[in-house]
Amino acid sequence: MTALAVRHLGVTFGGLHAVSDVSFDVAEGSITALIGPNGAGKTTLFNLVTGVVRPSAGTVTLFGQPILGLRAEAIAGLGLLRTFQTARVFPGMTTRENLLAGAHLLLRHGALAQMLRLPAARREERILAERADALLELLGLARFADAAATELPMGAQKLVEVGRALMGRPRMLLLDEPAAGLNDSETAELSALLRAIRAAGITVLIVEHNMALVMESADQVAVLDAGTLIAHGTPEAVRAHPRVIEAYLGVAARQGAAA
Amino acid sequence: MDQAAQIVIGGLIQGSVFALVALGFALVHRVTGVINLAQGGFCILGALGYQTLLAWGVLPWPLAAALAVLATALFGLAVGAVAFVPALSRLSNSSLLMLTAGLLIVIDGIALLAWGSQPYAVPPFSGEQPIALLGLDIPSQGLWLAGLCAAVSAATWWVLARTAPGRALLACADNATAAALVGIRLRRMRLASFAATAGIGAIGGIAVAPLMSLQFNDGHFFTNAGFIAVALGGMGSLVGAIAGGLFLGVAEQLAAGYVSGLFANALALSLLLLTLLWRPQGLFAGAARRRLDVREEVRADRRMLRFSGWSAAVVALAALLALAALPAVIDAGTLPSLVIALILFIAVLGLDVVMGYAGQVNLGQAGFMALGGYTAAILATAWGIPPLLGTLAGMAVAAIAAVLLSAVTLRLRGAYLALATLAFGLMVDSLVVGLPDLTGGPSGLVGIPSFAAFGVTFATPAAMYYLVLGLAAALVLLLAGGMRAGFGRALGAIRTDPLAAAALGINVARYKLAAIVICAVLGALAGSLYAFDFHYLGPEMVATPRSFELIAMLVLGGEGTLAGGLLGALLLTLLPLEVQALADDKVLVEGLVLVAVFLLAPAGLLGSLWPQRRIAILPEAAR
Repeated sequence: MTALAVRHLGVTFGGLHAVSDVSFDVAEGSITALIGPNGAGKTTLFNLVTGVVRPSAGTVTLFGQPILGLRAEAIAGLGLLRTFQTARVFPGMTTRENLLAGAHLLLRHGALAQMLRLPAARREERILAERADALLELLGLARFADAAATELPMGAQKLVEVGRALMGRPRMLLLDEPAAGLNDSETAELSALLRAIRAAGITVLIVEHNMALVMESADQVAVLDAGTLIAHGTPEAVRAHPRVIEAYLGVAARQGAAA
Repeated sequence: MDQAAQIVIGGLIQGSVFALVALGFALVHRVTGVINLAQGGFCILGALGYQTLLAWGVLPWPLAAALAVLATALFGLAVGAVAFVPALSRLSNSSLLMLTAGLLIVIDGIALLAWGSQPYAVPPFSGEQPIALLGLDIPSQGLWLAGLCAAVSAATWWVLARTAPGRALLACADNATAAALVGIRLRRMRLASFAATAGIGAIGGIAVAPLMSLQFNDGHFFTNAGFIAVALGGMGSLVGAIAGGLFLGVAEQLAAGYVSGLFANALALSLLLLTLLWRPQGLFAGAARRRLDVREEVRADRRMLRFSGWSAAVVALAALLALAALPAVIDAGTLPSLVIALILFIAVLGLDVVMGYAGQVNLGQAGFMALGGYTAAILATAWGIPPLLGTLAGMAVAAIAAVLLSAVTLRLRGAYLALATLAFGLMVDSLVVGLPDLTGGPSGLVGIPSFAAFGVTFATPAAMYYLVLGLAAALVLLLAGGMRAGFGRALGAIRTDPLAAAALGINVARYKLAAIVICAVLGALAGSLYAFDFHYLGPEMVATPRSFELIAMLVLGGEGTLAGGLLGALLLTLLPLEVQALADDKVLVEGLVLVAVFLLAPAGLLGSLWPQRRIAILPEAAR
């Protein structure tokens, strides 16, 4: 089944076609990487799909349901959660509280039940706290649980964001450059984490510049350049695609030669 | 026709002084991104200083005026150097707004000490004889005022657009960091703009002084009008500010001339709220370029205060027992003040939910107090409705008002949000005064019965004390339960990062609405308790200055702490009473305390005193 179907999606910012006529599918249970040079429109695409930016044209369906034009929180409510390119952990909250904030969609007891400290609401809090702690353990963040999330190293903050999104039990996860700021061993851990997320049945769409991570983890790769989709296929097929080599890897190869 | 023209001319004259204040607002906002509520205070300092110099009898009026303007600018320079500019890099935008509100109260206090509370009138610059122009009689002072407004506007434009320091000033506004990198002295520029706006305010105050008698706290009037004017025009646009001022003046005069003087203010404020609903960025298209959130991110608060575990429970229980025992140890004369402090604490609790937790400025909490108080009091006195029912009705009215207000405010942020809530409070103020048949008008409502519920009448101060203490304790317990669970986390998320909150499925609008409704309901509860306790309700008890006092209590105690507001309420209610010598200086002391707390302990008393857990983050290698 198709998790996310993007059709003829386009948006214009004051005459600039940031994204134009982009169509692709993300298969359920897969990891799809979205790559492309800086300014290619990857983050804009994320913002379009998650309801942050209004599109000029096109349709987007999530598990068969049209989501374009819905508000960001409604799209999240349908099981599509995301992280941001620059980590946006909540200041004034601990790491554990950041994860708990991500569990918002799961809350079954309202503000009144919480205020009255009804047993059911307290039990819910306790269960969520246990889940948050288990997830922190999995992410290797347990020692930061009670620290202010904004004081964590940047790489750890990005992991907090991944954990925060996972707390909401997403059906599909959009990760915007999760490996930025991670060292090699942390990147390897991230790669294992991505496979664990896929194994849990969560579809992943990931924007990433780290080619090793993309080639190792992704089932499918979509390549954006200057707002248009220039290639889409398996990592091997995309790596061999002439336009991709020209637009993306070619640049990298030249830089490599120069260095 | 003549009458209409006369009214419009009057409006333009009044609008000229609004425009001058608005120009000061726009200038400071342009350079620092902050709304300076102390702006109106500079008008009063200028005007009263001018009056004193003139009364000395030696100086001709132009020299006296120039000296007064200079002195006010120097005062502005000092205030800027000591308080405003140092705070810019340390405080969040909403704290800065309240710092300037504190500065306005300081100016009130200084003016009260120096000139007392009586109004002053000064003679017009060039005689009482009106000037006949095109068949209309125009007061000569009006021409002076309009002329000065035009001259100051032109001079400001010339400095900003045509001189190197002016362009440097604008560079600070557009990108402070980049400006500093190219060698512009940021601090000096900010100080200069602050001092200049103090001078501009003084010019406005001096020029308008002959047209209306002025007293120590009229700065609030100028601040409110200027704030509305600058928002009408579009924040950050100098032309918009001047146009907004003139527009507001004419609109108010037309409303007063053709509808009712009593409602002129309310109509102007409705106009403002409608404008914000229609165009949240002001009337002048393109003028108000939306500033990005960069500044707010830099100043985003890092509050990490947690009350948890047994220590917090023990402290809370001990505090409650101490409060319960208090009537036995203090003298009976103090008890009524203690009751009022607790009642105000309930209103502060509501304010903490909306400001401390949800991060939404609310300058209109007294308006909700008034809605609750007057509803309950009118129902009790005119209809004989039992106090408990009346109180619940008042809370319902306030909740409805909060939902209506949200239609305007949900889309607003920062200064516009502050303004819309201020406008709401001022609108309630003018309705209370303007509907004497219902509210008793300026003389208030008398003969309000004691609070009674379930067959118990709370007639003595001691009975009221325990009633309000029990209510307050229950409310703290209730709110704390929500704040430590999902509700509090959702509010914290929308306070610090609404975009990320929405991405997690948090309905930002719904939580903002919930917060303001809780705030309004608690305000209304406090308002009706106040009325039943006092057996009287007058406009000044629940007017806009009260809103600022409540915020002062909240900030003094500590935002986002719930219980902290009690410290603030007790201090600001009891301090002036306990220290008799302070009674005359109450206003000044209150303002200075507020400013000092913002500068020295932005987390408030409870926030600063409570031991904070610091978890050191060690690098991997050090572990």
